[in-house]
Amino acid sequence: MTALVIGGAASGKSAFAEQLAVSLSDGPRCYIATMQPFDGECRARIQRHREQRAGKGFATLECFTGLHRAVPPEKSTVLLECVSNLAANELYSPDGAGDGAVEAIVEGVRSLRRRCEHLVIVSNEVFSGGSSYAGDTLHYLRVLAQVNRLLAQEADEVYEIVCGLPICHKGKGVGA
Amino acid sequence: MILITGPLFSGKRSTAKALLHWTDEELAQNAVRDAQELAAGCADLDALAQELAQKPVVIVTEVGGGVVPADPDERAAREAAGRLSCLLAERAETVIRVFCGIPTILKGGIAP
Repeated sequence: MTALVIGGAASGKSAFAEQLAVSLSDGPRCYIATMQPFDGECRARIQRHREQRAGKGFATLECFTGLHRAVPPEKSTVLLECVSNLAANELYSPDGAGDGAVEAIVEGVRSLRRRCEHLVIVSNEVFSGGSSYAGDTLHYLRVLAQVNRLLAQEADEVYEIVCGLPICHKGKGVGA
Repeated sequence: MILITGPLFSGKRSTAKALLHWTDEELAQNAVRDAQELAAGCADLDALAQELAQKPVVIVTEVGGGVVPADPDERAAREAAGRLSCLLAERAETVIRVFCGIPTILKGGIAP
C-alpha cells in the first residue's frame, strides 16, 4: 500500500504519517531521511524528528539525492520524509538531477514501491500563498507540484493534514 | 457556470478537461483561466463576477494562504482575488476544489 501525506508547516503531517506507518504492519520499518544537516536549525529539526520516532522501531536511512539508490530492507514499511526536501536537493545540490528532478524522484519512489511492503510518503502544501516569488522559487514550486500530482495519481491513499487531522482525498480513509 | 479552484499548479485545468471530456481547444474556448488576476484593480467585483458567471467554466487559483504581502498593491490584489472567488462560488452551479490533481465537489455536481 502506498499513501501520500501532505500538509503545511507544522500541520502534524509527520506524526500522522508515522502513526499510519506503524499501524500498517508489525514488520521491519525504515525511515528515509532527506534533510541535509546544513546548520544548527536543520540539526535541531532532525533531532526533534528522531525523538518523535524513538521507540517506534524505525531504522533510519539517509538519502539526499538519487532516491533509487536507497535500499530499505525487503518487505519493510518505509516512511519517506519528505518530498519537498528531495525536490530542493535534486534541483540545487551539486550531485542532484537538475532538470531531471521530477523523473528522479518519481522513479525513485517507484523503485521503493517495488521493494517495500508499504510506503508512506510525506510532502508539503506550499501552493496557496500566491505566485509572486523572487528568483527560482516558482520553478521549484512547479517541480514539487508536478511530483505531488504524479505521486497522488499512483498512490492508493492521499491525505491532506489540517491541524493534525486527516482529510482523505483518495482511498479508504482513516478516522482522526 | 462551473467554478474550479485550488492551489497553484494543483491540476485544475487537467481536472476540468477530464471531468468535462474537453480537449485543450475546448478548454481554451470555454474556460476563463487565472480569474484571480482579473480581480486586481477591478472597480466593481460584483459586475465582474456577474460577467464571469455567464461563462461555462471559470478557473481561479487560491492565493490567500500565505503571509499578508508587504506591498500594498499585492495586498489589495490578493484581497480582491479572494472576494471575487466567493462571489463566483455564490453564482456557480458547481464548485470544485482540486488538491494534488484530485477533485472535491464543494457545491452542486457534474453529470457523468
